Amino acid sequence: MNILISGGCKNGKSFFAQQLAAELAAGRPLYYIATMIPRDEEDRARIRRHIAERAGWGFTTVEQGKSVASLIEREDVDLSGSFLLDSVTAVLENEMFPVALKDGKAEFLGEDRSAPERVRKELVAFAQAVSESGGSVVFVSDGIYGDSCGYSESTENYRRALAGADRALAAVCDRVTEVTYGITEEWK
Amino acid sequence: MILVFGGAYQGKTEYAQGLCGAAIDKADHAADICDLSNGGKPDFTKEIITGLDAFALRCVQEGVSPADYFRERRAQWEHCVLVATDISQGVVPIDAGLRAAREANGRLLIYLAEEAEQVHRVFCGIGKRIK
Repeated sequence: MNILISGGCKNGKSFFAQQLAAELAAGRPLYYIATMIPRDEEDRARIRRHIAERAGWGFTTVEQGKSVASLIEREDVDLSGSFLLDSVTAVLENEMFPVALKDGKAEFLGEDRSAPERVRKELVAFAQAVSESGGSVVFVSDGIYGDSCGYSESTENYRRALAGADRALAAVCDRVTEVTYGITEEWK
Repeated sequence: MILVFGGAYQGKTEYAQGLCGAAIDKADHAADICDLSNGGKPDFTKEIITGLDAFALRCVQEGVSPADYFRERRAQWEHCVLVATDISQGVVPIDAGLRAAREANGRLLIYLAEEAEQVHRVFCGIGKRIK
């Protein structure tokens, strides 16, 4: 059972997704795919807070901020388990706008224009591989499509690419749920 | 008239194509599209009109109410599928022109949703009839 969860930011998606992933595990391994690649102290503090929030849920944390499809080959990962990937948004950001860390400071390397298609394909491949192994993935993405202002070209490229990833995942997921202030609406 | 709306990049036009195909029982039907995103006025002889939000912005810049524009041409778009990007969910625009355009766009969509036989919302490529 693969599930895509989206909706506005700060609406309770992550909490809902954690509950779902834990229920889907039903005794099998439960993985949290950590997607944030820390760039500064603010990021590191946020990661510490997230780890504390997940304590007691039974998640094994797997670091995979890029190349999601490589999870399929990892020996420390059982594909018949239950995975929570939070978030698609972060994976795409990491791949589209890579940074190099120099003396603890992030240096942007420019936009990777091949990332949107690669990320979309890797996410779908991962979803299908887990499905075929009898496992489940809960993907969390973000609905960032309701603004009236135009953004810079690279931000519009990013919004288009994230929507493309969401739509590709929606097509292969068994269930698509929108979360608004903790209330869920089923789309599929 | 059928109104289709949803956020940017959600697959609204593709979904509208599907609705047109379903109406005549031809899944691979390629409907005529008038896209208003980059300029021009609506061509109501087409089956699908997209980019209503961009048209609303241009109307406001020219001092015209987009809702009035559609109201005055009520008989012409009765058979169309109208597609609009939902631009109502973000922060209030700081630019006065954009702010006025967003308001005019909202008033246009309230009018069109009221007049529509069907209203569909599209999310992640999936559509749902909400009227």
